[in-house]
Amino acid sequence: MPSLPPIPLAGIRRPRHALLSLATALAACGSGESALAPAPGTNTVQLSAAAALGEKIFRDPGLSASGRQSCASCHDPDNAHAPANALAGQPGGALLDQQGGRQAPSIRYLDTNRAFRFDDEGTPTGGFFWDGRAASLQQQAGEPFLNPREMANPGKAEVVAKLARASYEAEFRALYGNEVFADVDGAFQRMTLALQQYQLEDAGFHAYTSKYDEFLRGRAKLSEQELRGLALFNDPSKGNCAACHPSGRGSDGSLPLFTDFSYDALGVPRNPELQQNADPAFYDLGLCARPAGDLAARTDLCGAFKVPSLRNVARRHTFFHNGRFRALKEALTFYVQRDTDPRKWYPLDASGQPVKFDDLPPAYRANVNTSEAPYDRKPGDAPALSDSEVDDVVAFLDTLSDDYQP
Amino acid sequence: MRRTPLSIAVSTALLGAALSMPAHAQTPTELELARKLDRLAAELAEVKAQLATLRAQGGNAGTAAAASEAGTATRAAPAPATADAAPAAGRPTRAELPTRAELAEPATVLTSYGEINYTRPTKAPQDAQVDLRRFVLGFQHRMDSKTRLVAELEVEHAVSSADDPGEVALEQAFVERELGARLAARAGLFLIPAGMLNENHEPTAYYGVHRNFVETAIIPSTWREVGVQLIGNLDNGLTIQGGLSTGFDVGKWDATSTEGAESPLGAIHQEGAQARARNLAVFGAINWRGVPGLLVGGSAFSGAASHSQPLLPSARVSLWDLHARWSPGRWDLSSVYARGSISNTAALNATLVGNPTLIPERFDGWYLQGAYRLWSQGDYVLSPFVRLERFNTARDYADLGAGLTPQAAGTERVTTVGVNFLVGQGVVLKADVQRFGLVSANNRVNLGLGWSF
Repeated sequence: MPSLPPIPLAGIRRPRHALLSLATALAACGSGESALAPAPGTNTVQLSAAAALGEKIFRDPGLSASGRQSCASCHDPDNAHAPANALAGQPGGALLDQQGGRQAPSIRYLDTNRAFRFDDEGTPTGGFFWDGRAASLQQQAGEPFLNPREMANPGKAEVVAKLARASYEAEFRALYGNEVFADVDGAFQRMTLALQQYQLEDAGFHAYTSKYDEFLRGRAKLSEQELRGLALFNDPSKGNCAACHPSGRGSDGSLPLFTDFSYDALGVPRNPELQQNADPAFYDLGLCARPAGDLAARTDLCGAFKVPSLRNVARRHTFFHNGRFRALKEALTFYVQRDTDPRKWYPLDASGQPVKFDDLPPAYRANVNTSEAPYDRKPGDAPALSDSEVDDVVAFLDTLSDDYQP
Repeated sequence: MRRTPLSIAVSTALLGAALSMPAHAQTPTELELARKLDRLAAELAEVKAQLATLRAQGGNAGTAAAASEAGTATRAAPAPATADAAPAAGRPTRAELPTRAELAEPATVLTSYGEINYTRPTKAPQDAQVDLRRFVLGFQHRMDSKTRLVAELEVEHAVSSADDPGEVALEQAFVERELGARLAARAGLFLIPAGMLNENHEPTAYYGVHRNFVETAIIPSTWREVGVQLIGNLDNGLTIQGGLSTGFDVGKWDATSTEGAESPLGAIHQEGAQARARNLAVFGAINWRGVPGLLVGGSAFSGAASHSQPLLPSARVSLWDLHARWSPGRWDLSSVYARGSISNTAALNATLVGNPTLIPERFDGWYLQGAYRLWSQGDYVLSPFVRLERFNTARDYADLGAGLTPQAAGTERVTTVGVNFLVGQGVVLKADVQRFGLVSANNRVNLGLGWSF
């Protein structure tokens, strides 16, 4: 392999805090590229006071109504900041008896994401949560505290009251002023700012330590199967995965994030394990049904959810917004056989025909992406990937997990 | 040195005619001619000064010559107001004597070329289109007898905006300084001496509505770089050019696009637009014109193209060509062979496997062209021509392993038959038919209007 140029150390830039981090985020957005190409093993940099405080808040179950749920409960640092279990929805609420309506995503590799927008071509892009309703990491960090199915605090005042009793209360005051807890909104805002700072500074949220990263750096070789999987992943006529999950080096030398931050309607089958789906009239419409109602008129976006990064996807226990699948191979097989063998994935109607895209009302089923590979097929056609080719892609996706050890 | 009024008139007429040639002349021959013009202008200025002295001494002795001179000066040099356009009225003072520059040529010359094309695919007439392919405005400004600035601003496809296909670009912007009778230096954004088209790309300078494929797909005309260049003209007919410049950026390769398959180097050129310059390239060209009507030459270019960018293996882009042009009598025969290569493509492509357009290891092409001046009357010239081209933008790929190495592209074979109809020196009407041997869907009929001055 050729000798590679020195790669900038992420740690050198970390102490510059949020301003620089946000600036680099803005510079890289929309391209599916990271802002930097850091070397592995850079998580030794001392966190700023705000970030260190953010870490304590992140791990504090005492900030939930149940007293048993922290941010880390659903975004486990030991599980790529995603749930460590295979539940369709995570339990929450004051008694931990409420089921979340959507699968908790990994919150890694979000530092370069930015607020939701329509790009120059009108494509919905960016934002946080499956429907992009939060404009920043900070805004995203605040919502679970108040969501009745999650940390279930009745309001910001209760959260701030818990903060004022926390073991790190003095640090909070030291950083934001002795009277900070007197201003509920101000204290809540600073709490979420500290959480954002933690996610921006802690390299664990964007480690770039996968085997594939090392491969891009020229310091590791992929196996033959992994290389075959990469080729199938990239090939527009085969997996075509890279169309939404770009895999190549960015034009600025950045490492790929395996998402273009766009949205797509995949027609994932309804998941009966979600309690909300017991109501046959209920449908999770995603982008067009954001709580603010800002996209309610855009019925063409109903059924679309954010394209997540595929980094650490092999460490996930459930897949897609509704957690319908529990194995990566099953999720990939769904992609390539959704249209060639719909009976395998959807229930049959009274006449024995599969009800494709059954997790959407009939009026919105036309929104589902059927034009691109691997969907551009009909029943009886050969899938875009054979079973062994799916195995190859799975092998490649395994190389996207952080903490690679040669 | 003494000159008669007749010799002055002849010299002035020659100067005027020479100045009417395309002002953006860039070939070494034309460059040499420009320098000779400079010398001629200096001599003319001297003669004029002498003539003014004679007028003052001999009354009306030089009236006829002065009239002729004034007319020529007006045609050749309209920009600055020339003192000798005014009637001679007594002996001029030293301060009233025209300067050499005022007498010889304008300091600033406006130039332009452009082309409007009609293209009709024979198998898909619904895709026929008219395109104002390019419109170029340029100028040359001569700061003194040895120093000039040359710049060209190009608009492609008529309209350039976020929603339109056009683009605006600086095609040239360089300063040239004559260092001696046979040596000049250039610095700035200039055209790389490669092939025969790149430095002479005006529509009046080539046959066919569209530029040939070898010198667009393999040599990425119009190919310009920022750098420094020396140009030497020897008495034996040799012109030698060489220098240092910016090069290509292989990091710009987009494996998801087909752009690289159309022109590998066109996909990664930098054109002086925030060009990465960690590494510079070297280039050189030799052309020989020792026999009238014959040109034989070649060029070479080589430069590192990764510029120490993160995650980008080192790579080098090299390109060379051989070319010849022979114009016996009414015939105009020419040929170009060009070949390019990119090193270390196995490492470059390793992370791109499966994408539609990987980086080729080698690409090349050649053409043979024959034109015949069939008919001419006045300033009309009709020249039919035939051009045979073979080119391959991805002749070889580095081995990436079984199932991962792309297949080499096929060699395209293009036959172009058409006619150029020159109207004066600056306008050309063109028509041709192009037949593609590999992808016959590209067969097309073309009509074109071009100008250059």
